Amino acid sequence: MLQAILVSGVAMGAIFALIGVTYNVMFAASRVMSFTAGQLGMLGGVLGSLFILRVGVPVLPGMLLALGGCALIGLATEIIAVRPVLKALDQHLYVLSTLAFALMLRQFTAIEWSTEPQPFPTLIGLGGGFIDEKFWLPVAACAVTIIGLEFLYRRTLVGRAFVAISEDNFAARALGLPERNLRMLSFALAGAIGGLAGFAGGELMLAFFENGSVLNFYGFVPVALGGLGSNRGAIIGGLLLGVFQQAANFLVGGLFVSVATFVVFILFLLLRPQGLFGTGTARRV
Amino acid sequence: MRLNRREFVVAAGAAIAAGSGAGSADADNSPILIGQIPALTGSSSDPGIGFDRGVQFATTEINDAGGVNGRKVEIITRDTQGDPSKAVNAVQELINRQKVHAIWGPANSGESLAVTPIMAKAKMPNLHPCVIDALIDPVKYPNAYRVATANVQWDGAAVRYVTEVLKLKSVAIVADTTGYGTTAAAASEASFKNVGIDVVHKALIDSAQPDITADMLRIKSSGAQVLVLWSVSTGLMSRIINGRGELNWDVPIAGHPSLGSGQIAALLKKPEYWEKVYQVSFKNACYDASGKLPARSQAFLDKISGKIRLDDTNFWWVAAGYDAVHLIADAVRSTGSTDSDKIIGYLNSVAHYPGIYGTYHFSATEHNGFPNDEVVMSKANSFRNGTFALAPGYT
Repeated sequence: MLQAILVSGVAMGAIFALIGVTYNVMFAASRVMSFTAGQLGMLGGVLGSLFILRVGVPVLPGMLLALGGCALIGLATEIIAVRPVLKALDQHLYVLSTLAFALMLRQFTAIEWSTEPQPFPTLIGLGGGFIDEKFWLPVAACAVTIIGLEFLYRRTLVGRAFVAISEDNFAARALGLPERNLRMLSFALAGAIGGLAGFAGGELMLAFFENGSVLNFYGFVPVALGGLGSNRGAIIGGLLLGVFQQAANFLVGGLFVSVATFVVFILFLLLRPQGLFGTGTARRV
Repeated sequence: MRLNRREFVVAAGAAIAAGSGAGSADADNSPILIGQIPALTGSSSDPGIGFDRGVQFATTEINDAGGVNGRKVEIITRDTQGDPSKAVNAVQELINRQKVHAIWGPANSGESLAVTPIMAKAKMPNLHPCVIDALIDPVKYPNAYRVATANVQWDGAAVRYVTEVLKLKSVAIVADTTGYGTTAAAASEASFKNVGIDVVHKALIDSAQPDITADMLRIKSSGAQVLVLWSVSTGLMSRIINGRGELNWDVPIAGHPSLGSGQIAALLKKPEYWEKVYQVSFKNACYDASGKLPARSQAFLDKISGKIRLDDTNFWWVAAGYDAVHLIADAVRSTGSTDSDKIIGYLNSVAHYPGIYGTYHFSATEHNGFPNDEVVMSKANSFRNGTFALAPGYT
């Protein structure tokens, strides 16, 4: 049973971690916590099922189409819900605008797709039991994403420009970096990462419109646990959350799992408000 | 011409008499207004759509035959979308503005909990198909009648099947963490314990939990001989059926009527995993081993053939909606009145009413109309035209 808890916990943790990274990538480019992150995960599963099972596209092109669709939604998030409120960041208007856009995505999916969970295709057909692909695909997707992001941020010019605008927006603009285009690109990238979370986890979570709310909620926890803006923290926080959640499911039952998870989460934040890898900011007084 | 005072009084009296006479003639021809409050859109709309098909068919049938004592039946539908607050608004409007004579619905228990007291206060005759036991109470709600089974009857059918047909001694009860799931699991546990069955495990699982392998291992290790499942979440139900199959655990699953939903079929990893899954069903909506429905059901099926789709709904939903309209129409036909007291009085006297869905029996002290012996178990994987095959052990 311990093996079952660990295997499914790590798999779910990897999905939560990827949603946490989605939050971080959007935040780095705009200083906005976009609550569409979980819906992008949901859409990864729904679009994957749509293209592969309903339309009949092969798996690889189906995946590219699903991730492309999510990247477009990420882009739309920036244009519709983020850009208009950037001038009033201190008023936290983005909470309303991104949440409203997330609700629109959820309702549209419920109406046009289904309100019942729909099947998600078997992607490769490798493994069985505890090494079934439904468990290791999210972990593999998480690893590929982290390696890809590290490469992007450290080895490419565009990646360094992302880092520049996330560290000092004004200085980056003064140097002539196209801040708006980079922000749009960042949101498209975040959309694809969120979509990958839902696509790789589709065999576990199915193609279900309610997954968006669950991922929004539990995907935010790794961000807070790991420290805002820290992808390394989001990965570790996500994996810890996944294993803890599955263990709590088993030990205290589904009725109390959310309570147990959030009691531990709140206690952790009381002890370390900046998260695992976040740094406390000094404030002039 | 000038009228003196006496002539004026006589003329005015005649005019009032003539006017009231004309009024009463209009009332006799006025339509019988039946309010209907199903969820026709939204996540819990499947039953409402099925009920509505039966309601519309019965109405057309009655009106084509000349109506009830010369009065047409008119259905006023309000889509509640499964939202209790919308159901409350709909009921208020139907009672106060539309002045309906009876109401059919709502189609789910959460909404019914919200609107039943409102209809009771207005003495509005109300027929509904909702399962929560507390919704029927002839003292608190003398106007409310259940044209379907109560939750306790579902429990009874599962208990009878496990003990009398399968002859098993230990059960594991699994439900989701919703209000319905927790209530149903507690009631089911009590029902099994009452007949001396060992409840070796009870699990409440969040329907959003993506992997239930650990839970299934724990349930299997409890030594249960049968898994009793109460949930409306097709995702959770399919995970449990898949989990049983992947563990090569050969125990039967029995429980909620949704176990036969087509949505579950789409989520199963192998079709054979759906074997030995039995759901609560109803005798008139089940065919026997030779493929035959009860005569009354077959006659209805022939009548609606080509007029109502049954490939995407349940026979019993259509039949219950059909029966509800006929019960109200028969009340008006029998009493010659649409008065609330008269309709309620008629319903209290209904005995062995041969509906399509069931044989109903109401009295002043019993408003649960569906008989226990017509609640049976059926094979979940045997859907055919809205009906299911009786589970092994029934004749």
